[in-house]
Amino acid sequence: MRDAALVLGIETSCDETGVALARVHDDRTELLVDAVASSVDEHARFGGIIPEIASRAHLEAMVPTVQRALAEADVDLGQVGTVAVTAGPGLVGPLTVGTSAAKALALALDVPLLGVNHVIGHAVVDEVVHGLFPERVMALVVSGGHSSLLLVDDAVHGVTELGSTLDDAAGEAFDKVGRLLGLPYPGGPHIDRLARAGDPRAIRFPRGLTAPKDQEKHAYDFSFSGLKTAVARWVEARQDAGEEIPLEDVAASFADAVADVLTAKTIAACRRHDVGTLVIGGGFSANSQLREMATQRCAEAGIDVRIPPIRYCTDNGAMIAALGAAAVRRGVPASPLDLAVDSSMPLTQVVL
Amino acid sequence: MPVLSIDTSGEIAVAVVDPRGPRVLAERRSPERRHAELLAPLVVEVLGEAAVARSDLEAVVVGTGPAPFTGLRAGLVTARTLALALAVPVHGVPSLDALGAAALAAHPDAREVLVLSDARRRELYAARYRRVDGATRDAITVVAGPLVDRPDALVQAGLADGAVVVGPGAPLYADVLGVEPREPAHVDLGVLAALARARTERGEATPTEPLYLRRPDVAPSAARKRVTG
Ligand SMILES: [Zn+2]
Repeated sequence: MRDAALVLGIETSCDETGVALARVHDDRTELLVDAVASSVDEHARFGGIIPEIASRAHLEAMVPTVQRALAEADVDLGQVGTVAVTAGPGLVGPLTVGTSAAKALALALDVPLLGVNHVIGHAVVDEVVHGLFPERVMALVVSGGHSSLLLVDDAVHGVTELGSTLDDAAGEAFDKVGRLLGLPYPGGPHIDRLARAGDPRAIRFPRGLTAPKDQEKHAYDFSFSGLKTAVARWVEARQDAGEEIPLEDVAASFADAVADVLTAKTIAACRRHDVGTLVIGGGFSANSQLREMATQRCAEAGIDVRIPPIRYCTDNGAMIAALGAAAVRRGVPASPLDLAVDSSMPLTQVVL
Repeated sequence: MPVLSIDTSGEIAVAVVDPRGPRVLAERRSPERRHAELLAPLVVEVLGEAAVARSDLEAVVVGTGPAPFTGLRAGLVTARTLALALAVPVHGVPSLDALGAAALAAHPDAREVLVLSDARRRELYAARYRRVDGATRDAITVVAGPLVDRPDALVQAGLADGAVVVGPGAPLYADVLGVEPREPAHVDLGVLAALARARTERGEATPTEPLYLRRPDVAPSAARKRVTG
């Protein structure tokens, strides 16, 4: 029997094929299952995501991943009441596979389709972990692809983008610095591991867009490419002088600069907009210096900080099922069956 | 019992077909490249026009190419997922096979046909087929291909010699090939469904694996790179 409150979510914006099931309750969103297939290993040797390889992997993984999610949740497809899918932002080829599959499901099951925003999903997935959002939350979404600061008055109808990165995403800067330090791709976890053994105050790297002159136009924007260049210069100067590179200290000081800028600007935004709850999402929220600094500074500022477990921070179906559930709870009308993927979907557009 | 027949190897094509005959009950085609946008609405339209309920479909048949990547994948993932949701089998048939079978039926004097479709990048997908004497028209033998190559290389390999040349790729390089392109120019969805039925009845496999025929380009995306997995 079809259950209007049962949402199937599909995510294919990058290299993870994610399928999840969530149920809408009056007072919470219940995650039933979160199945994921990743092609990340196939990309590692190229030092970045290859869209065509990711697209091929999504096609092969789609049906098996849907089947696995259904089996693990002991749900029959005929029970699904809504199909939610990432419409953007992301890579066109991968998004095309996911939306095509979602449309086929919605069509065959005769249920509504919801094309939703991937980045907002990174924030709203926290509702399946820590409960529905209060009236107003600040969301910091940081990953290899995005660094955005969002004021969320309503998860579906009231998202304002306060700021974003002007150049590299936070995670992207980690990849680039990782390459610079000769670490394997992706560099993030390696830098994180090294940083734990280093002194974050050993080297004073620049904090992008924090100067007083930047406060007017770019108070909540980020810039990490200058930081990346500063790290490169520092490392090259040492190499030229024939000195050893203190990898742990470089990693710790670099990560400290990133975490410092992200948390300082985010907490300033919370104060300015009188927001008492901060949600941090996206794969980069796995970074331990960011987690520690955010937790400590939010405690000092009296802000309640919510960071989902790492498995819900990386790309997954749960974030799309959670956002789909939020839309169902609000009675959002279905997206059209001819919806197009939008690789640069604006963050103010939560549902297509 | 009707089947849904889909091919996205070139233009977007979808039909409800009675595979006996075969008889096309309703069909939509679009030359637009927006496969992922248009395919699902066109499926709804053909089902409506044929007055066939989703639950009446007996199988989904899909062309497996070869074709440039994104549009082909939209068709394949749609077919596979529809079949999963409707709990019916999905059968894949190379799109060039359908062109070859239709060409041999259209040219009763021809013994062999060369089927060409556009592979872009100044190349063609090609397959050459021979009539199986005394058999039904669903029985064709692949003589060469499917493969992807430059038009002049296909000529040098002698692939066009003594064959009727058909398919959407033929008119694109008719002068290089030195041939007169013949019909059919597009995949016939009735023939596609009939081939699937014949192969299934003979106990042959009908995999829905895409015929890419090319390795992926490995230029990493500048737009999105990840860090923490
Ligand atoms: Zn993401």
